[in-house]
Amino acid sequence: MAISTEKLTSILQNFVTSTTDIQGAAVVTPDGLPLAATLPGGMDEERVSAMSAAMLSLGERIGSELARGGIDRIFVEGDKGYGILTSCGEDAVFLVLADKAAKQGLLMLEIKRTLADLKAVLM
Amino acid sequence: MSLEPTEFMSKMVSRIGFSADDRKVLQSTADWGLEIAPEMADYFYEYLGRDAEMSAILNESEGRIHRLRETFVAWFHEMFTGMDDWGDAYAERRWRIGLIHVRIGIGPQHVVPAMAVVVHEAGKRAIADGKDQQLRDALAKICMVDLAFIEQAYIEVTSAAVLKETGWSEGLFRRLIATGAGAM
Repeated sequence: MAISTEKLTSILQNFVTSTTDIQGAAVVTPDGLPLAATLPGGMDEERVSAMSAAMLSLGERIGSELARGGIDRIFVEGDKGYGILTSCGEDAVFLVLADKAAKQGLLMLEIKRTLADLKAVLM
Repeated sequence: MSLEPTEFMSKMVSRIGFSADDRKVLQSTADWGLEIAPEMADYFYEYLGRDAEMSAILNESEGRIHRLRETFVAWFHEMFTGMDDWGDAYAERRWRIGLIHVRIGIGPQHVVPAMAVVVHEAGKRAIADGKDQQLRDALAKICMVDLAFIEQAYIEVTSAAVLKETGWSEGLFRRLIATGAGAM
């Protein structure tokens, strides 16, 4: 069955608009190609996709090399907010951008829920 | 991102237009090629040796420059004989020579102009020895095929190391290069 980019985009838009302090989200392939994205203005979707896939892959490699086991997520914390990368099955990477005020527990829970929705579409 | 030498050879031969006539011309002058090979080795290593960094690499261990000169002479002669009619063995040997350049640290920035010197000097020698233009053209073409192997070896080895250490796919790596280049 073909993957519905409309459904993926709808899930992302719903996630970004309904979750407090979320600024953007994207689903990309492990090769760094965008599948769907709702990103803040000024961000280059192609670049964000390539960087997201590269980051998650490198994180998984580090996890393996440094005996950290399977990687659940890559968490980037800056003084302006967070970037969270989560594997979305074998065929996709889920990127979430949140501002500094985001409550991390809530954020992780929302990511977990959204991941389940995204995986259902990607299957 | 592992290069298949015969396939790469075939691609380069086609792109550069190294023809059956070029092969015949080179093979018919293989003895001349062997005769001038030591002189061409002198030009090649004299050029490289002018650079302090290259000179240090060439003379890093005892006998290295001597071994490299011997390899050069054999390599130069093989461009005329074609080994197995420029087939699998020729391609494999060119790939190995490329890898040796990577291992030693003789990069494209040094090899490309040094090869240009060889093509130029071989052309001058051909004129002096009464050889025709066809030989000079054929030699220039096969030199470019061989040069492509050396350059490609650098790319392949570098890419393979990055892919191995990062776990990135080839597609992702190419995309990062493309987006990175676009941002430069």
